[in-house]
Amino acid sequence: MEALLVNYVEKSLEQYMRRNAVFLCERLYAEFPSEVNLQLLARCYLNNNQPHSAYYILKGMQMAQSRYLFAIACLEMDLFCEAEAALLPVPNGAAVQYLLGIIYRDTDRKNKSIEHFRKTLSIDPMFWAAYEQLCMLGEAEEAAVCFGDATVPCVQEHYLGNASSCLQIADTDHSSDSSQRFGLEYLSRSDLKQREGNNIRVMCENNHGGPILTGAVRQSKNSCCSTSFLSTPSPVPTQLSDVAPPPLVRNIHLRQSEDSLRPNTQARGKFACDNESAQIRGSLFFDSGLRRSARLAVGHRSLNTSQGSENKAKSLHASTKLSSETCSSTFYQGKLMETYEVAVSEFGATSSSLSSTTDVKSIQHEIENTKLSSFISDSATIKSGISNTMKLLRTLGEGYRHLCMFRCKEALNVYQKLSSKQYNTGWILSQVGKAYFELVDYLNADYAFSLARQISPYNLEEMDVYSTVLYHLKQDMKLKYLAQEMILVDRFAPQTWCAIGNCYSLQKDHESALKSFQRAVQLNSRFAYAHTLSGHEYVIMEDYGKGVECYQTSLHVDARHYNSWYGLGMIYLCQEKFEFAEHHFRQAYQINPLSSVIMYYLGTTLEVLKRSEEALEMMETAIVIDNKNPLPKYSKAKLLLTLGKLNEALEILEELKECTPRESCIYALMGEIYKRNKKYDKAMLHFGIALDLKPSIVDVAKIEAAIEKLIIPDEMEESL
Amino acid sequence: MATESSESEEEGKITGGNQHLIVEDDLREMGKKAAWSVSSCKTGNGVSSLRDDNLETYWQSDGAQPHLVNIQFQKKVKLQLVVLYVDFKLDESYTPSKISIRAGDGFHNLKEIKTVELVKPTGWVYLSLSGNDPRETFVNTFMLQIVVLSNHLNGRDTHVRQIKVYGPRPNPIPHQPFQFTSREFITYSTVR
Repeated sequence: MEALLVNYVEKSLEQYMRRNAVFLCERLYAEFPSEVNLQLLARCYLNNNQPHSAYYILKGMQMAQSRYLFAIACLEMDLFCEAEAALLPVPNGAAVQYLLGIIYRDTDRKNKSIEHFRKTLSIDPMFWAAYEQLCMLGEAEEAAVCFGDATVPCVQEHYLGNASSCLQIADTDHSSDSSQRFGLEYLSRSDLKQREGNNIRVMCENNHGGPILTGAVRQSKNSCCSTSFLSTPSPVPTQLSDVAPPPLVRNIHLRQSEDSLRPNTQARGKFACDNESAQIRGSLFFDSGLRRSARLAVGHRSLNTSQGSENKAKSLHASTKLSSETCSSTFYQGKLMETYEVAVSEFGATSSSLSSTTDVKSIQHEIENTKLSSFISDSATIKSGISNTMKLLRTLGEGYRHLCMFRCKEALNVYQKLSSKQYNTGWILSQVGKAYFELVDYLNADYAFSLARQISPYNLEEMDVYSTVLYHLKQDMKLKYLAQEMILVDRFAPQTWCAIGNCYSLQKDHESALKSFQRAVQLNSRFAYAHTLSGHEYVIMEDYGKGVECYQTSLHVDARHYNSWYGLGMIYLCQEKFEFAEHHFRQAYQINPLSSVIMYYLGTTLEVLKRSEEALEMMETAIVIDNKNPLPKYSKAKLLLTLGKLNEALEILEELKECTPRESCIYALMGEIYKRNKKYDKAMLHFGIALDLKPSIVDVAKIEAAIEKLIIPDEMEESL
Repeated sequence: MATESSESEEEGKITGGNQHLIVEDDLREMGKKAAWSVSSCKTGNGVSSLRDDNLETYWQSDGAQPHLVNIQFQKKVKLQLVVLYVDFKLDESYTPSKISIRAGDGFHNLKEIKTVELVKPTGWVYLSLSGNDPRETFVNTFMLQIVVLSNHLNGRDTHVRQIKVYGPRPNPIPHQPFQFTSREFITYSTVR
């Protein structure tokens, strides 16, 4: 009965019949209270968005797997201390290290967090999410190191496992290991698309497979089976015929859940079709009425063997016991193999020998006809597949790292190297858009983002940045449209509310903008940009106290958010606390040393602090970095004026006049200079033009006053 | 800004009033930073009714004329426009008729800068503080005093429903002598 219930629960989970799964699992646990079943129940709860239930049932459990699930439940409920406590002593596995990294990051222990993310990558080089986190913390190593050729053997080992030492079982091993491997890869792929803050639940689901897989793999690597991380295998021999172990089933679950979860793949078209075919195959399999326990036992056998040689004998034994079910196992293998083949063909798309066609049925057929032994000879394909994958990850990693360190031009170059299939996907194009945004090239950013939206309109990841781009370009129609689209996609994403807030702000309705940003904060208090934008709104409404608070919260979440440093600098500049302003601008400058705007403000602060030489240097650097930014040039002219170098100042202003002929302050300053040079007619001329260009009332008053003063010396000269 | 029907050099007569408060974008309400006080008031109709954005509530004075509304700032501010909401149809003999505006550093050196006569006003009444000279667009002062010298139909006390004070918007980019007008300059001037 237990086996039956477990089967059914797993089936329901796979088919997303969550309530069914929860109910049956509860009955299962009531009838057969064991920790394994408890873990299954926790999984059902986590799947059904009930982390609190999972939390309660798993509290105090000691098995590694239980502790892992407990930690996930705690993280979903933001109980960092308990999550941390649960994960000590640290179970094996990349995903566990990743979780620890997240916990330490969220509890302000940055160094430990970095350590753990690095460990994640060393255990599992394809754990993109860990690399992403390292980049965001500013501590990532070069992608060439993390995803380099040196890691290929490591990844390959994960695949091949014990292929060399086993027979048919080894083959199933191999295929199941590889499917496990793929489970992990797919999960890291999907991590790529998802921010852990918003989607930790999905990641957790995926990661369920993670530690078990890597744990299993590690065991095989270390070829010792003492204190198995997977405590489940120990009672395994007795369970062979009964309970299906959660781990492998989870893998399958993962595999299919990954398939169906695919929000934003990088080889989309092909995979979409694979998706369906995988599910069709899956359902076919289910409907075939084959005993699931047999299938699971087969898988379990393989898991066993990965534990080490000791269990091998038992599993061999087990296999002969169930040899009557070979047909099921073949089918199972076939299924795994075809999914494997399909997956490999996806990864090895560029150079694989397998046909990467859309005709999946033919592949299926093909595979069922191939001998298992020939499978092993495909290890060369595997190797090339892995190296291709790592190459891809390397490029992506390098690009992402450059972008996080704000070296936008390099990032853009790196992304250009991607194949057009990869490039024309939502994520990459959003990254490209973000790079242009940081370069203050809003038109290109707009273009990149709009392409991204055409390709994947459901991807809201960097759309808050896109809304800021449109805000800068003052395109309120587009911005409104974007906000509406985002609401339709997901009303509960903080990015949506940031876009809405930007809309309101553009229309000068700062109260509503603030409300929207506060809603974004409520939805996800770790979304730094929402805090920064709230800060901006407070500053516009001149509520500096609250503005400072908001910026500081944002920095607390993400210390590399240079906009917040900038915001604080601006507040202190307005409040005339110039030393503070300088400090904050300098911090912003250190984080993003290529931003000419930050340099401009730093220079302005230095100018006010009367450190004119430094200010001048800063402006010159800014001009070199970004020639299109007129402000540093204007400031430089002003500085030269104060230093008495009038002609040089005039030269610069003449240049500026060519670039931006409609800027009244250029003419006003030129008028000043001519006045100093006693060229009164020229001064008059320029003041006149400045007035024509309709400056603000205050400036009109100033310019008119300046004109008055001009006339008086004229009169004096005449009278002389 | 609202249309003012006739205005001679020193004294102007203003008739009517706007139903809607429409102010230019480059002006900003400065009253929040000031301390407001009145010479006298009836209980329940105090100075807070002048600043509550509610046209139903009003300030009612309770003493001898002239009635004063004092607006004091912590530092010198540039002020350009004063707007009052008064309504003859509702307040009749309580409606102010002659209003004078004085500015200075404190109570000891207030100087009159504008006098205006209202004739049956019904709504927002705009009183510009600018002189004729473009250099005198603003009044740069610590304190502003609005004096109600007399009311319609010789009423003793006065009702004023709302008062707003406007000055120029400061440069969003601090420590720049001039505000930027062109798109290129403005695009590069902020990080968001």
